[in-house]
Amino acid sequence: MTKIVRRAALSVLAVGAALAGFTPIAAAQDRVTIGVLTALSGPLAAPGRFQMNGINLAVEDANAQGGVEIGGRRYQVEIKVYDTRGNPAEGASAMQRLTTVDRVPVVIGELSSGVAAAVAPIAADNEVPFILTVPTGPNLTKANNRWLFRVNAHNDQLSQALADFISRQGWQPLAYIAWNNDAGRGGVQSMSRLLPQGWRIGYTGFFNVGEVDFSAHVTNIRNAGARAVMLFMDEEPGSLAIAQIKAAGLDVQLIGTLAMGSDRFLRRLDAQRLNGMVQYNAFPPNAAVPRIQGFSQRYRAKFNEEAHGFAAQSYDGLMVALAALRAAGSATDARRVREALTRIDHEGVTGRLRFDAEGQASPPVYVTQWCADGRRRILYPADVVADCGAG
Amino acid sequence: MLLAVAEQVLNGLMLGSIYVFVALGMMLIYGVMHVLNFAHGALFMLGGYCAHLVFTQAIGNYALAILAAIVMLIAVGAVIERTVFAPLRDNLRNQVIASLGLVLFIENLVVVLWGPNALQFRIETTQAVVSLGVLRFRVQHLLIIGVCALCVTALFLFLQRTRFGTAIRAVAQNPRAALVVGIDVVRVHRVTFAISMALAAIGGALLGPLFLLFPQMGDLPLVKGLAGILLGGMGSIGGAVVGGLLIGVIEAVSTLVIATDYRDAVTFTAIVLVLLLRPQGLFGVRTREEA
Repeated sequence: MTKIVRRAALSVLAVGAALAGFTPIAAAQDRVTIGVLTALSGPLAAPGRFQMNGINLAVEDANAQGGVEIGGRRYQVEIKVYDTRGNPAEGASAMQRLTTVDRVPVVIGELSSGVAAAVAPIAADNEVPFILTVPTGPNLTKANNRWLFRVNAHNDQLSQALADFISRQGWQPLAYIAWNNDAGRGGVQSMSRLLPQGWRIGYTGFFNVGEVDFSAHVTNIRNAGARAVMLFMDEEPGSLAIAQIKAAGLDVQLIGTLAMGSDRFLRRLDAQRLNGMVQYNAFPPNAAVPRIQGFSQRYRAKFNEEAHGFAAQSYDGLMVALAALRAAGSATDARRVREALTRIDHEGVTGRLRFDAEGQASPPVYVTQWCADGRRRILYPADVVADCGAG
Repeated sequence: MLLAVAEQVLNGLMLGSIYVFVALGMMLIYGVMHVLNFAHGALFMLGGYCAHLVFTQAIGNYALAILAAIVMLIAVGAVIERTVFAPLRDNLRNQVIASLGLVLFIENLVVVLWGPNALQFRIETTQAVVSLGVLRFRVQHLLIIGVCALCVTALFLFLQRTRFGTAIRAVAQNPRAALVVGIDVVRVHRVTFAISMALAAIGGALLGPLFLLFPQMGDLPLVKGLAGILLGGMGSIGGAVVGGLLIGVIEAVSTLVIATDYRDAVTFTAIVLVLLLRPQGLFGVRTREEA
């Protein structure tokens, strides 16, 4: 009797196990997985969080609308995320895995231009499209890689608006403090190239990611008699650099990157120290533009903080990938997805996104300025110029 | 230019003081246990986070927050010493590997507990600016230099003038002979580890308010502290102090004439030159290799 009971129990377990085994396979047919490279740990973990917030919000929005329709079938959207830790070797290994083991039809993300440069050739070798959403090194999309696309503006595009503005204001000699990496060095090169010929540069100082002491730069900027300082870095070093410049009593015009135009940045410092600082911006979260306001509200509702440019760009990156899958009519054929990307015309939250022959999009770039009351105004482009509270 | 040199010397002394905290802590553990504890930078960082936690969540008094951080880090150190280093006591290589593993463990533990974003550690009183002529420094700068001088003096007196300090020096010189004359070597190990943890906690808690707290904030002081030990001479407390301060000043002053991205190259070239002329470091004692 006991034997029979045991057999019956085993049979029930076996059937249960078989059913459990079958269910995910049945469900898997209705899912499309997009590969994501980002930094969840290491020195770029903080911007990585904004990138992931944008991507997660996009996945949620897509699935809330019933998923994505590809070739007449509806698919739930899933992501497979790998942490590159901001390290090119780990990024390369993750891309290899995504394209050969996970066999995703498209990969998005990445933060660092250095990692992207190491990873992009692997995407090309394995013929899987790779959509960058944050790295700004201009050379990435000039490497003749047909499989690489970028939704965000690169350094030259970002710097153009600011270079016009600086030259109109006559801010020279200009000083730079920049990250000693592709983003920082690329930023300095772009800006120097875009400023009028002969523009005086008083001092250029580079620092390694993770360095927090800017005292040497402050001394050199004072020695050079610079009128304005351009900071090519993100939020954390940016707030430290400004705090140290102000503490040392340096009277210079501050110029920053898109990381320095947010409420989060204001909380790191204060309105008094930021007053008058200008920065380029890919996504002024308070601009009176419906697409920007819509995203800002949804982002705040979900994450209880002001929307970040990296999040908006990464949101668009995932939406562009879905649009390409839809247009390709295949959830697996990476070649067709690439073809679709070359023809994509997507109204994203950062602007209208179309890729040129090099795979580079040209989203709008703004210049914003901090007001004395801790709000921001938009100074550029002319059609969205608005006073304090709009930036 | 003279003004710029003065500014950079003071900045260098401040950063050098931070390197001294790390160098002394590593030096003590190396001297007594003969292990280079690579987790010291991560523990230094943890000290900063502990002080921040106590300051923002409990006390709101900076001095007490530093004391609390010292106690917390001594407790963490005791756990690490007993669970990681003591079981591996006879295997130096594995102790070094374990200390490298600890770096990953502690840094990622901090990411899990506090998140990856850098934390601000604002202490209004030490953020105040002191003017020295046209130059302006924060009180925190001077506090770091002052506390470092105090700790170095206290440590020196403890090692030279107390019975336990003598015991520590005896174990550092020859653990077997120390055991023979009745010194409790295990206790010496534990107390040395605790002192080293206290120094790490003070260093982290002092540096945090000047800059930011982030999981990798101990990486650079670790490398520079280690360089300070090499420059000053392995095994010499005075050497670690002078080495740490020298590295701070060399790297700060060098940026006035050489681009900042070559700062580390300048520092390490200086170390190579010193070691070529004095392989035992500035204050190291030349000893014959033991058989």
